Amino acid sequence: MSTKSAQPHLLTCARFALAFAVLPLGKGSTLEPAGLAADRVATLFWVLTIGATVIWLVVVGLALYAVSASRRPQSPRGSSLLIVGGGVIFPTVVLAGLLVWSLSMLPGLLAPAPAGSLEVRVTGYQWWWRVEYLGAEGATIELANELHLPVGEPVELQLESHDVIHSFWVPALGGKMDMIPGRRTRLRLEPTQVGVYRGVCAEYCGTSHALMSLVVVVEERQAWERWLAAQAQPATSPGEALFLEQGCGACHTIRGTAADGALGPDLTHVGSRASVGAGVIEADVPGLEQWLAKTAHLKPGVLMPSFGMLPPPELTALAQYLAGLR
Amino acid sequence: MKRRAAWWLLRFAAVGGAVVLIALLVVTTGLVPIKASSGHWAITAWFLEFTKDRSVATHSLAVTLPPREAAWLVMKGAGHYEGGCRPCHGSPGLPLPRVAGAMTPHPPALAQLVSQRDSEQLFYVIKHGIKFTGMPAWPTQQRDDEVTAVVAFLEELPHLDAERYRQLVFGPAPAPSSAPSLVATQCERCHGDDGRGRGSAAFPGLAHQRRQYLVNALEAYARGDRVSGIMGPIAAGLRPDQWGELADHYSQLPSEGRLANLSEAPPPDPARIERGRQIAAEGLPQLGVPSCSDCHGPAPHQRNPAYPLLAGQYADYLVLQLELFKERRRGGSPYAHLMDKVASRLTAEQMRDVAAYYASLQAMDGQTTER
Repeated sequence: MSTKSAQPHLLTCARFALAFAVLPLGKGSTLEPAGLAADRVATLFWVLTIGATVIWLVVVGLALYAVSASRRPQSPRGSSLLIVGGGVIFPTVVLAGLLVWSLSMLPGLLAPAPAGSLEVRVTGYQWWWRVEYLGAEGATIELANELHLPVGEPVELQLESHDVIHSFWVPALGGKMDMIPGRRTRLRLEPTQVGVYRGVCAEYCGTSHALMSLVVVVEERQAWERWLAAQAQPATSPGEALFLEQGCGACHTIRGTAADGALGPDLTHVGSRASVGAGVIEADVPGLEQWLAKTAHLKPGVLMPSFGMLPPPELTALAQYLAGLR
Repeated sequence: MKRRAAWWLLRFAAVGGAVVLIALLVVTTGLVPIKASSGHWAITAWFLEFTKDRSVATHSLAVTLPPREAAWLVMKGAGHYEGGCRPCHGSPGLPLPRVAGAMTPHPPALAQLVSQRDSEQLFYVIKHGIKFTGMPAWPTQQRDDEVTAVVAFLEELPHLDAERYRQLVFGPAPAPSSAPSLVATQCERCHGDDGRGRGSAAFPGLAHQRRQYLVNALEAYARGDRVSGIMGPIAAGLRPDQWGELADHYSQLPSEGRLANLSEAPPPDPARIERGRQIAAEGLPQLGVPSCSDCHGPAPHQRNPAYPLLAGQYADYLVLQLELFKERRRGGSPYAHLMDKVASRLTAEQMRDVAAYYASLQAMDGQTTER
């Protein structure tokens, strides 16, 4: 291939990489567990890996022995022992042991959180997460693409889907759980370390499946309570007139204003979030401006229309208003 | 035997070559008269006419006409005929205009012709035009509904005398207009001297529509961004400052009450209006359809003046726009794409519901708090 034709190709790749570069939203490795369930999953991973390694070493060792053994005839008794012992009994015992041990983990992983635990409903949409904290008096506090949890406490997630099958997965905190339309699934998480963790959709769900991230912030109980109390407040930032004027309220709710749309994410405190568009771009003024102007470009297939036709000063003012909703 | 055949072949080749050479000579010297003033020889006229009729008959076999039950289609077609077709084809009382009479071939007087043609043939000719005759194709190939309106009118044409034609095109004898002459010549015939669209969904009401929306619409028509073979050429014939002039005029006309009151259609079912009201106010969140009223009113907050008011508009006109949006054939200003996904998710029945609701509103309802 000549350099001339290779260059545009490289450029395309670079553009692709840029367009789909992920925001550093938080830690996301299942091998650095920060929750009880993830810890068990990690233990299971290491035990199975070590078990498999041992079996591999023994099998390869036997193969090498068979190749290098002297031509002197083996006793039939010794050979039978080797074949039955190494080929049947050893793997059966090891695999059965691992199976019994890993199955014995399931009840603990599947057990619901104890009554009275924090309950959060997370609903999957193409391609974002609606998050609702279920208050004691039936009141819900709604946000999107972000979950805050108190450290060291079990939490019960109620998982639902609005459209197609999604799968909720925060690798550092726990296992995966499918979100199935018309049905509620549950997942118990119990974070053990303060930190920020990345969640993803783990079931291919359409064009922008790869752009469906979730931020999980684990914090001390007091900080979490302050956060939840702040989220429960109506919006305080002035300047909603422009937002309403463009008709944004047809799809988005901002509590405390006339915007009461139910289609898209609740934006009451959008300025306090790590990102907009489920991990696509930062929720600051430049990020929001980009998001408003090039929505479909940043997130192919998204339901929200781009507002790039608005005059730039209005776009900036809208972005400033939204970023101010903290 | 063999030598005789070769001899004949040579003679044919020589004669054929000579004919081609002479033809080339005649064309190259410019002796062929291309002038329209002399007309065709009878044999040329017959040959062209025969070829044309056969072509139209064959190609129109593939035409499937869009539905054309709506009574207002005739009026819409008539409005366009007066501006777009009459200058060449004449009208009852004005059989063949002077300039068209000087064309070769003469544009036919259509009243006699249409009875000999079926609807599909008319549709095919109006949509695609005819080469070498001066008959243009419809300015866009995406608006079969507009072509159908002209077909519907042409099928009425044989039954019209001069007076009935005039009534169909201009409405009942109008009072002397006080409108600016631009409005009188370009708009009034169809949109009415009161800007209320002459009582049928053939022409949308424009009175008290928002100025910004009207300017944007005219610009989009002129640039071809909003697709129409009727409004496109009219808007493209205006200067940009005239878009503003017309928008000023119509946005300032009063429009109280419902346009639907002007039409003879039976009032819609109250249950339909109620279903439409719900969609307009709350949308259909399960289907991903947002509310209409946050952008189009009625709503207590100010709204972007590029979003049109819908209160009191004709229901059939609104349904047509939603259908065009759904099929991505409407186009419009840079704001038009906001409607694409909304319209795509509405069923035909839901479109009629929401259109009936807006048609039932008093025009002033949506305009209480405009900027």
